Amino acid sequence: MIQLNNISKSYRTDTIETLALQHMNLSVPKGEFLSIMGPSGCGKSTLLNIMGLIDEPSEGTVVLAGREVTDYHGSQTARFRNEQLGFIFQSFHLINDLSVIDNVELPLLYRRVGGKERRELAREALAHVGLSNRATHFPNQLSGGQKQRVAIARAIVGKPNIILADEPTGNLDSHMGGEIMDILTRLNEQLGTTIVMVTHDERMAKRTHRLVRLSDGERVS
Amino acid sequence: MLSHLLKLMWNKRRANVLIFLEILLAFIVLFGVYTFTLYNFDRYRSPLGFSYEHSLGVRLDLNDQLDSAGVVEAHRRIREEVMNLPDVAAVTWLGPVNPFGGNTWQTSNDNYGFLISTQMMFADEHFAETAELSFREGRWFDESDQHAKYPPIVVNAAFRDEYFPDAPTLIDSVLPINGPHRVVGVIGDFKYQSNFAENVPLTFFSHADQDRNEQPFEMLIVRTHPGRMAAVQEPLYRSLVELTKSTDVVIWDMAADRIKANRPVVIPLVIMLIISGFLLINIALGLFGVLFTQINRRRAEIGLRKAMGATPGEITAQFVREVLLVTAAGLLLGTLFAVQVPLLELLPIPPKYFYLGAVAAIATILLIVTVCALLPSRQAARLHPALVLHEE
Repeated sequence: MIQLNNISKSYRTDTIETLALQHMNLSVPKGEFLSIMGPSGCGKSTLLNIMGLIDEPSEGTVVLAGREVTDYHGSQTARFRNEQLGFIFQSFHLINDLSVIDNVELPLLYRRVGGKERRELAREALAHVGLSNRATHFPNQLSGGQKQRVAIARAIVGKPNIILADEPTGNLDSHMGGEIMDILTRLNEQLGTTIVMVTHDERMAKRTHRLVRLSDGERVS
Repeated sequence: MLSHLLKLMWNKRRANVLIFLEILLAFIVLFGVYTFTLYNFDRYRSPLGFSYEHSLGVRLDLNDQLDSAGVVEAHRRIREEVMNLPDVAAVTWLGPVNPFGGNTWQTSNDNYGFLISTQMMFADEHFAETAELSFREGRWFDESDQHAKYPPIVVNAAFRDEYFPDAPTLIDSVLPINGPHRVVGVIGDFKYQSNFAENVPLTFFSHADQDRNEQPFEMLIVRTHPGRMAAVQEPLYRSLVELTKSTDVVIWDMAADRIKANRPVVIPLVIMLIISGFLLINIALGLFGVLFTQINRRRAEIGLRKAMGATPGEITAQFVREVLLVTAAGLLLGTLFAVQVPLLELLPIPPKYFYLGAVAAIATILLIVTVCALLPSRQAARLHPALVLHEE
């Protein structure tokens, strides 16, 4: 499902070159729930961004869902992200001026799905994360855990093959974090969605199928 | 997508209230300026209806002791002498109301069961030739009309169209305007106050009417051959001083008088256009500022939308549409106010100018807003999602 071949990523300024990832190889089969761990600045988020096509590798190739996507640009990348990928962020990234259901509908807007169908799919996704009764609320009326559940609903509403989660429990207490992990595990088991999760929390990582550790931009396990 | 944007803009209405008010204010100012400009531009383009080029206006002082016959004789002699000057093409006597002079004379009556109100001018039988008038019907009055049963009058097209639009002809009709008068001619346009004046109902009375009022004509229009106006002025002055035995002779260029008569419209118009120009620049800069700030505050949202599958074009379109939606709301409210002016007939300007003014103001504002929204929106579209999502 995800194949990273010899991926390197460096950031250049006038005077300095920082290597974020070095010759990274990683393969994630369909239906796997993979976690990535490592100290801050080791390149976890960079790796996730490259898998999510929101950052480009300096070297190497990326194959997602059987397609070589390294050279995708502009609208091609946007369409692929929209149809194949779902994102969950540590800080939720909900739009505060939109209601919960409108936030969940967001990916479908860029897929030209009609209003009625959009609403239906968003309600379905909210039901999946147990937030049907909060559809008309606004993000600032929700707890952190509820916000992350909305973000998960938004990630799954378009039925993507891959979910990329960047520290989804990082801003939550252990109880809330546990609930989020329950939802992600259920998604993985019931829908067969491939999930790659970056985390700092060893307990959360243990609940996934496989753990990959990074250090200084290199894979260490 | 539109319903999504409507919801988003409605929920962000407090943040957009300043843009909304700015657009509303700009629309109202532009609407007024465009309406006034278009109306006056049309007035300016419509013909004056008479010739003023190469013409001199003259005011002199006839001897107060002259009786009626003496005035007639003085008029005849002075005109004859002036006509004999080199380069003089035509000469006419006028009553107290002269083109571009800024004075008017008006009379009205309701003898026909409806109110006839007309402005008045007094001139001799040479006025049509001197001012090069064009006729719709009939002719200018001549010497023979002075001995007819009813004194002659000439009316303008605005008079005829306003009060007798269905009459097959007005020629030889006797109208009770300051006593019974016979219509001998109908001229076309005649905007004697300025280029920006409307054609209003106007009646020309002859010499005889003015003599009856014991106010002899003391104004002349002297049309010269092209390019010879300056050469005529000095001999004209000398001749008139000698003929009237008075130095109280004033000569002026009618073309300069026309420019002076246009100033009460031209000056406010120019001031309004300059203010509007500054206003538009202000709106453009304001919009730039507001949009850059808003986009800066929404960097994470832009990153998120791109991560969710929005293309750069969709991001640009979204921000432009957002601004256009607020603009449309401001324009809608402004238009609702604006159309009240013609509907309630609050100003004496034909309704079409208000509608044209509103359309022009809407088009200008939409153009400026779109141009101003494009630059920050394109900048937003170029934001790198990995970077802005990480900032948050």
